Amino acid sequence: MAYAYLFKYIIIGDTGVGKSCLLLQFTDKRFQPVHDLTIGVEFGARMITIDGKQIKLQIWDTAGQEAFRSITRSYYRGAAGALLVYDITRRDTFNHLTTWLEDARQHSNSNMVIMLIGNKSDLESRREVKKEEGEAFAREHGLVFMETSAKTAANVEEAFINTAKEIYEKIQEGVFDINNEANGIKIGPQHSTGGGAGGAGGAGAGGAAGGGCC
Amino acid sequence: MEYLKTGLKTVLGAPEPGHQPSGTETVERLVDRVNNSTLLEDRRDACRALKAMSRKYRIEVGAQGMETLKQVLELDRADNETINYALDTLNNIMSPSQFEEEEDNPQVPMNIGEQFTEIFIKNPHNIQLVLDLLDEYDFRVRLSAVQLLISLLTNRSKDIQEIILVKPMGVSKMMDLLGDNREVIRNEALLLLIKLTKGNANIQKIVAFENAFDRLFEIVSTEGYSDGGIIVEDCLLLMLNLLKNNSSNINFFKEGSYIQRMLPMFNTSEENEDLGWSPQKVSNVHCMLQIVRTMVSPSNSAQIISSCQKIMKNVGLLDALCNILMASGVPADILTETINTVGEIVRGDTTNQEFLGNIMAPSNPPRPAIVVLLMSMVNEKQPFSLRCAVLYCFECYLYHNEMSQAALVQTLLPSSSDVSSLTSGQLLCGGLFSSDMLSNWFSTVALMHALIDNSVQKEQLLRVLLATNIGSSPVSLLHQCTLLLQQSTKLQSKVALLMLLSQWMSYCPAAVSAFLKVPGGVGYLVNQTCSNEHDENEYLLQGLSAFLLAICIHFNDDSVENYSKESLKQLLIKRIGMETYTAKVTEVSKHELYNRAAKHPQMKVRNVSEVLIDYEFCRLFKVLEIQLPRDKAMNEMSGVCWEPHISFHTLVFQMGGVLIQSLTTNQENDACNEVAERASPEEGATLERYKNLIRQQDARLQELVAQVDALIQQNQSLQGALNDILSANSQLKDENTLLKAQVSASTIVPAPPPTVLEDPRIMQYEERIQQLNEETSRLSEQLKSTQDHYSKSMEEFEKLKKDQDDLLELFADQDVKLSEYKMRLISLGQTIDEDVQAKEPLTEK
Repeated sequence: MAYAYLFKYIIIGDTGVGKSCLLLQFTDKRFQPVHDLTIGVEFGARMITIDGKQIKLQIWDTAGQEAFRSITRSYYRGAAGALLVYDITRRDTFNHLTTWLEDARQHSNSNMVIMLIGNKSDLESRREVKKEEGEAFAREHGLVFMETSAKTAANVEEAFINTAKEIYEKIQEGVFDINNEANGIKIGPQHSTGGGAGGAGGAGAGGAAGGGCC
Repeated sequence: MEYLKTGLKTVLGAPEPGHQPSGTETVERLVDRVNNSTLLEDRRDACRALKAMSRKYRIEVGAQGMETLKQVLELDRADNETINYALDTLNNIMSPSQFEEEEDNPQVPMNIGEQFTEIFIKNPHNIQLVLDLLDEYDFRVRLSAVQLLISLLTNRSKDIQEIILVKPMGVSKMMDLLGDNREVIRNEALLLLIKLTKGNANIQKIVAFENAFDRLFEIVSTEGYSDGGIIVEDCLLLMLNLLKNNSSNINFFKEGSYIQRMLPMFNTSEENEDLGWSPQKVSNVHCMLQIVRTMVSPSNSAQIISSCQKIMKNVGLLDALCNILMASGVPADILTETINTVGEIVRGDTTNQEFLGNIMAPSNPPRPAIVVLLMSMVNEKQPFSLRCAVLYCFECYLYHNEMSQAALVQTLLPSSSDVSSLTSGQLLCGGLFSSDMLSNWFSTVALMHALIDNSVQKEQLLRVLLATNIGSSPVSLLHQCTLLLQQSTKLQSKVALLMLLSQWMSYCPAAVSAFLKVPGGVGYLVNQTCSNEHDENEYLLQGLSAFLLAICIHFNDDSVENYSKESLKQLLIKRIGMETYTAKVTEVSKHELYNRAAKHPQMKVRNVSEVLIDYEFCRLFKVLEIQLPRDKAMNEMSGVCWEPHISFHTLVFQMGGVLIQSLTTNQENDACNEVAERASPEEGATLERYKNLIRQQDARLQELVAQVDALIQQNQSLQGALNDILSANSQLKDENTLLKAQVSASTIVPAPPPTVLEDPRIMQYEERIQQLNEETSRLSEQLKSTQDHYSKSMEEFEKLKKDQDDLLELFADQDVKLSEYKMRLISLGQTIDEDVQAKEPLTEK
């Protein structure tokens, strides 16, 4: 399918906070209650529409376990967006956010959009982290914040789409160098330069790369 | 050598006359020089000389120089030339291949490079050193670093993969090399990545994440796709590594629309046909076919396979591959692999299967491609691997597709009127009775695949009649197969027919009764089963015959008088015996080729003699092997003996089965028969259906009751076992405490010896300590009392002092008074001098 842009995302955060479930809910619209440990990194993809443009999201869901940390670090550099997830019913996952953020900031490109996500909002009775705390943390570190539930699908779409909107705006502002694939952004094979700022060279490259597509 | 000599001369100075230094000595001096020289030029020269020596004196340079060379990498980074020599030297030391120079040196072990690699990677930091050098833009340094990493990976790929994986940006750095505009480096980087990604899913994913597919397709397209050189092949090999057994990457490949980008690879243009295929083009296309197959391989998850198949159809890839199939001048091995690939793209996907079924070959007269393919399969002159591929493709075409299965059987039925055109059914029948053994096998198995899980076609195929000899009445296909089985002397044909009959008759009572009606059929099976020849293949035949016999019993609807379920059971027990039967059936799954066939839908055979067992048959066998013995066990009422070695489970099973069977089967049959006799013919059919239903339900009930019984018994036995274990456990606990007590008792005894030895001294010391302690306490007490005493005295002293002061004051007062009185007395005119003088000394005291 033709797309105007392709964004690469990563999902990071402690083990068991629901990263894979968020992805599954977003790509397949279903919920899997059994925790199946992610080994290394898993891939998922979906098409969304922003501003009337088709945007392809390629999402790499990383393993939260410490043992895989060195592997998952390799994915920061090439990502345009990151979902940093914690579990609102487990205080420690919130406490570890600083470490995650440091890690991400250290290894990623400086323009990467980071969305902070407090997951499992359906488990209100077991809540350990207040929504205000999440908001405060996000404000302090310049992140976008949202509480989601991979189980009920609440806010899941929004989380992924809002991140994409943020990236899209940055492209419009010319913050992202879209010709550098290392930023996690690719221009689609049939993209015209009309919408994007400074996309002239990029469209050419994209066209060449996509030659032979239907 | 001349270069080496002059090199040495410049570094070491002219050799002393009459003394030729040995290699070891020279290496030693060179290493020493690298270590100690303060001048960069000297170190550089020494490194150059070491590099020159490292081929012939690999062991010496490696053993003495490795540490030094590592230091050079760290400390001399500013000088590219020195670094380059050091890297090359290290590469020579750890090279996986043997050098010409050391061929005649028996002291160099074959795996010397690997041994040095092992030493080198003991410290993972060394890998980091080399990785850091990849950042160096200098051509020689970068190239040498890449080559060194290739050598290291060749020697110890697993270890190095793990090290690189945990190095931040390790994999990314190597990926960046693909973008190097110097082709030599890019090409070496390809080789490096091929080694790096082999068998490591995590690295594969990172490489894919780093846009590997984009880069590779760019290279492939600039190199001219399949007409490109070996670089194209390298790119494709890397892609293959990234996708093989890596569902995450396959998903990424699919979602990233890369399947479309493979299309130009398979574009067969007219002009090339005349030129023929260069060996490189054959390799390239072969690799590309492998990539396609990786995505639709039956070992992938069904979801991935089906979505990839759909995309391949939609973007025209299947179309392009079918064009290759029909094109002329395609080399045989490419054709073979294309057939396999097409097979896997259509396997289980109705749309794609239909597409393949509708393709017409450009022959005269035009024939369906499937027919043309089958013609090759039954043609002795075609290459063996091609014929295997056609069978596989045909199997894929029939797989899970009742339509294509029906279409094949349809071509055999009398109703198909068009005699002039050749049909697949005719080809297969021809193959079935051909004198070529392989054609027999292929055709039989192909026919068998039309019957898998398809009870309708099993019954339809019973209707097929064959005209064997002119004049004689036509016989049914099943009849002919049974006769052929008895007459054939060839192992492969026999096995194939037994497999076909097993597939045909399983779950199809009509086929069973048709088989039982063929004269000599049952007798043949019994004889085969009882046969006593000792040979792996004979065992297989005996086992398959026993298996088919069991199918005859299990799926028997008692419609053939002499061979009712019951009588066949008796036959089996009496003529063969249960134990022999079980032993024979077990032999089948022990056969080497059975196990090989059971692994993958596609036959993996190297030569003609390995063609024997089919994958789908293995599946049938596995399912029925478990089911059939139950049936048999029920009959063993008389044969059940309570031998201790019979497993508990089996016994319960047998007993449960026997009881229920005796209760139900007879009654039910009697009752049903009675009713049937009274019923009118129309009702008879309905009744028959109900009877069947009841029978089925009964069987199911029987099974379940047996299972329940078995489970209860099992539970009891487990409970018993648990109790046993618990009591054993407590016993062990007791024993354990006893032992502990013993141990603690015994530890007291052996403990003294060391103390005994030093006893006198220790006692002395202890006494002394005691004394000293006493002394101390005594002294401290004394001290305390003294202190008390002292403080008391002090107090007393203070008191006395105060008294004295008071007294002194008093005296002073007195003195004043005295002098007053004196004055008064004097004023009164009295002389008192003596008294005063006498008194004064007194006061002084």
